[in-house]
Amino acid sequence: MSVFDPSTESPIAHAIVAPDGSLSFADPALIALNQRAGGMRGAPLAVPQLATIARLARRLGIVVSRGVVVADDETDVDLWVRAQPDGENVRLTVSGWREIAAWRPARPAPDAQNDFLGSDTDWRWETDSALRLTFVTLDAGPKHGFDAFALLGQPLTAMFALDAGTDGTLPILDSLARRRAMAAQPAHLRSSGRAVTLTANVRHDASGDFAGFVGVARMVVEDALAPVAADTLSPTFTSGLDKALRIPLARIVANADSINAQADGPVQHDYADYAADIASAGRHLLELVDDLVDLQAVERPDFALAPEPIDLADVARRAAGLLTVRASNAEVTIVRPAMDARVPALGDFRRLLQILVNLVGNAVRYSPAGSHVTVSVERSETQAIVVVADQGKGVAPEDQIRIFEKFERVDPSEAGGNGLGLYIARRLARAMQGDLMIESAPGEGARFVLTLPADPARH
Amino acid sequence: MSVGRDPVDAMPSYDDPLARAETVRLRAETRLAGTIADFFLDADARLDDRTRLMLAHVLDAIVGSIEWDIRRHAARSLAGNGSTKAGEAILKAGAGGVVDRLTRAGLLRDEELMDELITRVRHDLIAASLPVEVAEPDEASLLVRLAGVPDSIVASAASALLAAESRRRVANEQGVVGGSELPAELHHRLVWWVAAAIRDGLPHATRESDRAITDAAQRSLAAHDEGERPDAVAMRLAGALDARPNELAAVLVESIGDRRLSLFVAVLAHALGIAFDQARAITLEPEGDRLWLALRALDMDRPTIARIGLALSEADPRRDIEAFADALDAIVSVGVEDARASIAPLALNRDFRMALRALARTSRR
Repeated sequence: MSVFDPSTESPIAHAIVAPDGSLSFADPALIALNQRAGGMRGAPLAVPQLATIARLARRLGIVVSRGVVVADDETDVDLWVRAQPDGENVRLTVSGWREIAAWRPARPAPDAQNDFLGSDTDWRWETDSALRLTFVTLDAGPKHGFDAFALLGQPLTAMFALDAGTDGTLPILDSLARRRAMAAQPAHLRSSGRAVTLTANVRHDASGDFAGFVGVARMVVEDALAPVAADTLSPTFTSGLDKALRIPLARIVANADSINAQADGPVQHDYADYAADIASAGRHLLELVDDLVDLQAVERPDFALAPEPIDLADVARRAAGLLTVRASNAEVTIVRPAMDARVPALGDFRRLLQILVNLVGNAVRYSPAGSHVTVSVERSETQAIVVVADQGKGVAPEDQIRIFEKFERVDPSEAGGNGLGLYIARRLARAMQGDLMIESAPGEGARFVLTLPADPARH
Repeated sequence: MSVGRDPVDAMPSYDDPLARAETVRLRAETRLAGTIADFFLDADARLDDRTRLMLAHVLDAIVGSIEWDIRRHAARSLAGNGSTKAGEAILKAGAGGVVDRLTRAGLLRDEELMDELITRVRHDLIAASLPVEVAEPDEASLLVRLAGVPDSIVASAASALLAAESRRRVANEQGVVGGSELPAELHHRLVWWVAAAIRDGLPHATRESDRAITDAAQRSLAAHDEGERPDAVAMRLAGALDARPNELAAVLVESIGDRRLSLFVAVLAHALGIAFDQARAITLEPEGDRLWLALRALDMDRPTIARIGLALSEADPRRDIEAFADALDAIVSVGVEDARASIAPLALNRDFRMALRALARTSRR
């Protein structure tokens, strides 16, 4: 997985802004960012957010730290900027460098600060940087037998006894060490001995240092039933889904986009951001609707696609082109078939593009930064072949059948995807008299091989 | 708050089409007047959506809690005297409609009440948005530290503030208030309004029901403890701390870095010798000018004023940090004595201030 991983140390870049607002020194990352924003050596700092903070720090004469979102080419990058006046100059320290992550359907740690509590047996707690309780939901006290008022100001451990996780470690230590959200810390209540699960977000102070936890405690329900996974999708479920969901969703996305773009006039900045989240989540749902509709189609016994003459190399180049931006964000290079390569085949252009975008997208998602995804084409007497190869962690032999099944994913905890893509891709390939296969060994990357009938007329 | 709805039963039926048409015409006029007033409203005067929503919640919650206090207690005492029906009537008649009734009557437009509520809501929203600033890594935050000091007066006041602020937060988040947490005078006024609105909704008010409502209202007044309000608790802590001039800057900066805005306001009020509400008003003003002058009157230096200004700007979108940065040199150049003179009116007796304000308002008309 190569997309941003919050656990890795983020790079820190330094710069010195001269009194005239130009960069008199900068680390390469900042020079590059400045250049991409149209800046030049000796000219004023061209990234407006950075320039504003530097100017503010100079004029106020104190350290100014702020999180900002900076447009960098086609993406937005989340930066933490600290500007410290130093004589006539201002020292900039820029960390974070986090591409604004796509909306995720399942978060590894609940966003305790903004999440609604799951049930009325859950309650909130907050600590300062010394892990002393600064807030406890008051009505949780009578329910669970503790005195919330008496606990305020006490160490977190006065309320909870922390237990080791299944692997013998304490998630809270990991969270403290790496300054990241705490997921599922087992504990029990000192007042009643009942088991609880603690999750928390880290609150940062203006210098980006640990300033405390904002957390939720959930009572552990002992006989919780595991959710039963439905392994078939009834036709009645998907029928009408398209009409019932697509239009309202499209409207939600369009409206959220126009709120975000402030098309109807200025709105407060955080509302504009919420709107972007809404649009992003809406698009994700639209994709799911598309997939479910596809699923219903490909599962019909009479499903077939009318073959037409196409150039498989051209489709492969287009698919690679569509994913260039995502790939470069993930620092992955896509190697496409040569511009003059031609592989005549018989298939459905739109569906082929869909399959290849899915394959290349997967490959990018599972590729480590700095690696290549190679899209190559071959042809034989009877077959046109396109191969999408990555240098990721590969797929173990026992998973190679599973990944083509409905709602199956190698690692269900990964963000993005709904476990339908490969299933649909293979069904589509077979409906075009072709096939989709995988060749892989763990640690050696994966090769997805899509075959189609060659076009005898143009061979 | 919106202008209250007319009660549905005030609309004449179609049996009297003339009256009905006239009522609708009057409503349309009222609506137009409201829309025009809304259109010409200064952007500065307009509440932003978050504040408006929270204000509506807080007002509903406070009036609702007083209303149910009175209804429950009056009903219980009537039922205890054998008048079960009258008790039930008090529980049912117009239940939950008191906010609407008071809004329609224009009573909730009371300037002091709304000033207090709007300020409280702004205070809480800004406090929640302040950036955290950790003074020392691994050191407990200011209020937690104060709750553990050997000086028992400081420690108990700090614990009380922790508790009061938690209560306030729960109230804001869940819309359940334990008490109005209003200043005594305002609470007094509101309780009688609510009592009157309850009686107004009764189909048959009797001497017994009046007595029961009166008793219940008086009980609510007696139970109100002004000293439990977070403002009062914060003032108690500020008094107990009694920060010396050389400690003042650190306490102010650290209380704002610990997001304890009420403590900041209280320490400021204590140091200036002015009332909490005055210090709170100047702290929340988006222009900030009176706050900067007050800080200069306390001889705060440039970095301290800059830190406070920056933190408040980050938390309050109405503020203009650029304008503040432009003005900072001029602010710092104001002499301590001049600054003191400029904010002297803040120290006037509250009733005196109110009277002056009322006079100024009438002379503007």
